Amino acid sequence: MSAVPLVEQLSRELGISTATALFDGLVPRPVDPVLAPMFRRGGLPRGEIVTLTGGQSLSCALATIAMATQEQKWCAGIGLGEPAVSSIADLGVDLDHFVNLVTPAEDWLRVASILIESFDVLVVDPGFLPSAGERARLLAKVRERKISFISLTSMPGSTEQITITDTQWSGTEHGHGRLRSCLVQARSQTGVHRFLLPGPDGTPSEAPPRTPTEGTFERPVIRSVS
Amino acid sequence: MRSDPADSDSAPAAASAEGRRTLVLTVPDWSAVAAATEHEFSPRTPVAVLSGGKVVAANAPARAAGIALGNNKRAVGYRCPEAQVVAWNEETDNRHFSAGVGALEELVARFTLLSPGTLAIPLDSLKHGYADEPSAVEALISALVAATGWEFFPGIADTVFAAVLAAGQARRVEPGETAEFLAAQPISTLEYAGAGATELIDTFTQLGLRTLGDLAGIDVRAVNSRFGTLGKHAHDLATGVEWAPLNDHVREEKLTVELGLDEPTTRSDTLGFLTRQLAADLLTTVRRRGLVCTQITIELIAVSGQSSKRTWRIEDMNENTIADRLRWQAEGWLAGSTRKGPASPQQGSTPSRTSSKNRKDSRHSKDRETPAPDEPGPDPEDFSEEGIIALGLVAAELTTPIGATRSLFDENTGQVTHTLERLQGLFGPDAVLVPGLQGGWDPAETNLWTPWQQAASPVRSPGAPWPGALHAPRPTTVENLPVDVLAVGGRSVGARPAGLESAPYAIRFPTGATEAIVDYSGSWPVESGWWDPAKATYRTRLQVVTDSGQALLLSKENGQWHITGRYR
Repeated sequence: MSAVPLVEQLSRELGISTATALFDGLVPRPVDPVLAPMFRRGGLPRGEIVTLTGGQSLSCALATIAMATQEQKWCAGIGLGEPAVSSIADLGVDLDHFVNLVTPAEDWLRVASILIESFDVLVVDPGFLPSAGERARLLAKVRERKISFISLTSMPGSTEQITITDTQWSGTEHGHGRLRSCLVQARSQTGVHRFLLPGPDGTPSEAPPRTPTEGTFERPVIRSVS
Repeated sequence: MRSDPADSDSAPAAASAEGRRTLVLTVPDWSAVAAATEHEFSPRTPVAVLSGGKVVAANAPARAAGIALGNNKRAVGYRCPEAQVVAWNEETDNRHFSAGVGALEELVARFTLLSPGTLAIPLDSLKHGYADEPSAVEALISALVAATGWEFFPGIADTVFAAVLAAGQARRVEPGETAEFLAAQPISTLEYAGAGATELIDTFTQLGLRTLGDLAGIDVRAVNSRFGTLGKHAHDLATGVEWAPLNDHVREEKLTVELGLDEPTTRSDTLGFLTRQLAADLLTTVRRRGLVCTQITIELIAVSGQSSKRTWRIEDMNENTIADRLRWQAEGWLAGSTRKGPASPQQGSTPSRTSSKNRKDSRHSKDRETPAPDEPGPDPEDFSEEGIIALGLVAAELTTPIGATRSLFDENTGQVTHTLERLQGLFGPDAVLVPGLQGGWDPAETNLWTPWQQAASPVRSPGAPWPGALHAPRPTTVENLPVDVLAVGGRSVGARPAGLESAPYAIRFPTGATEAIVDYSGSWPVESGWWDPAKATYRTRLQVVTDSGQALLLSKENGQWHITGRYR
């Protein structure tokens, strides 16, 4: 028995045309190489809900969507307050493809369901947690439209959970200097990751190797070698 | 005008052959002239107009003193200490020009304001009234100079662009010789094409194209494939071809909207507000026909029955730009009747001016004769019985939106537009905001969130230097929350230009919660506008990290600490 009829059936009924699509599902959206290891498949999944919680989570979410907006994908933020445009631009988001919604917090689900129709990425700080029924419908819609949905509060039904467990700012010295970078420690399904968000230039960057005294890693440590 | 008598015999024949001959009148150094009128300087005062720290216009006395375009303020003060240095103001430019060219209304049927200081008159509209081009120009200029007191340079050519260039040299280009005239012009004259042209001019210069003739010699298809629409436009200008949309002028019927006001008003802000809605209606009608409006005629009707009609050419036509033009026109028109000095010969030279206008003038001169200390200037409310009672907008030129088509590379923009418009319908236009940047020190100032599909209007120039502006990393969200920053003893932390008075120890939020400050940056002050009490800004910024690991941007202004940004 050949596999041809099965392939035809899969292609016709489920829209799966290649074996990779069957095994991998949808190809995730590319993210900054520094952030990629946090995601199970190295990118922002489509058709799924990702939760990103903890300190610096908004920066992390904006850095995550940056590459998608640069590829002309439309992104919207709901319930984020008034983001600072300069920092959005610093994180690499293409300002021509970002929209901020200033709607009542209790309407976030309605707004999201309208935006799901045509947007590619949503960053949402939900004003309330949806009921089980609403959540199932939201999930179904996210899956159907293959959009990437990032929630800034934990939400049951999400497939990837990223929690930022620790943030350490550096650059200030009790009345001298200014904030320069933040060392972030994040836990996800792929393990614990350390990186700078924002780094010295405002974008995410690799964490410096661990030194015995955390917090002074910016200055080169000079020690005798002989 | 530098046209010799020999020109005049060939003129009538050629004028009939050429239908699109255009006369352009331009006031040299208009910004300086407008500034002098605004501030009521005497004609002999040297005036230099500054924009972005550089002189952009200087009047004749200033030039005689050695002030050149591109000088900075210090150079101006060095060369001519008595020169008046004025900041450039678009509104001033437009308002005075709009008021001044009123005298032209009785002389020609239609004219277009190209930019402040420059206007275009189609010569075929003058054909019936005057024997030839030079006499027409002669008559127009003498009337205009008598009415306004400004110096006008005329230029005549077969295209608007060539006529603008000719006006700069005060010459008349013979019919049919426009291409040769253009060929000799330097490539930098393409600046006329708009903001995007600067980069194009650089590229052309690097390619060795020094004159418009060099550019015109290249095949138009090659230019189009390499430089796109803008390049094609530049090529059309250089070859003396009228820009395509002006040619396929599709105008089946007049698209007009009118609005009668319940009670007359002279307040330009009210007028602007009403116009915005009116213009939106007109543009919707235009759009529904699949057309784009490139020129608009604005008509204002006063209670006395007088009217003011102007045609404006607007590059980015939307309700806000139309409302701006109407505002300028109204301000210029209403102020025109109170203008003294140059306005006084106007009464003598144009006796055909309607009686009510004279009445208005006389009334105001009477006001001025009796000095009233409690009334410092002409109050706009003075016109209340003669304000504007009706407005009308006419789409004067309509074209097909060939250049306005969507890019092939944009993904589902149509659906996105539809979705966002739906949200705006549900939650109001201000619910959907798109980001933009403008000048400023703090994120709260650089933020420029504009409702979807509205033109962003930056208040502060992003190009200007902003010493003391916050460096990256910048806070992610903007807030404005009053807080108390406390020192060890529980006293509020004071800020001095030299630094903080004491080390910040804790921060108390309005909710009553208190967090300890584990680390803080150096404080850095911003002081600006000290020369103008209304704009004076003095604030001290400070970044703190609290014990919960949160980083905040604080700023102290007028004795109160605020959270202005939060890193989250």
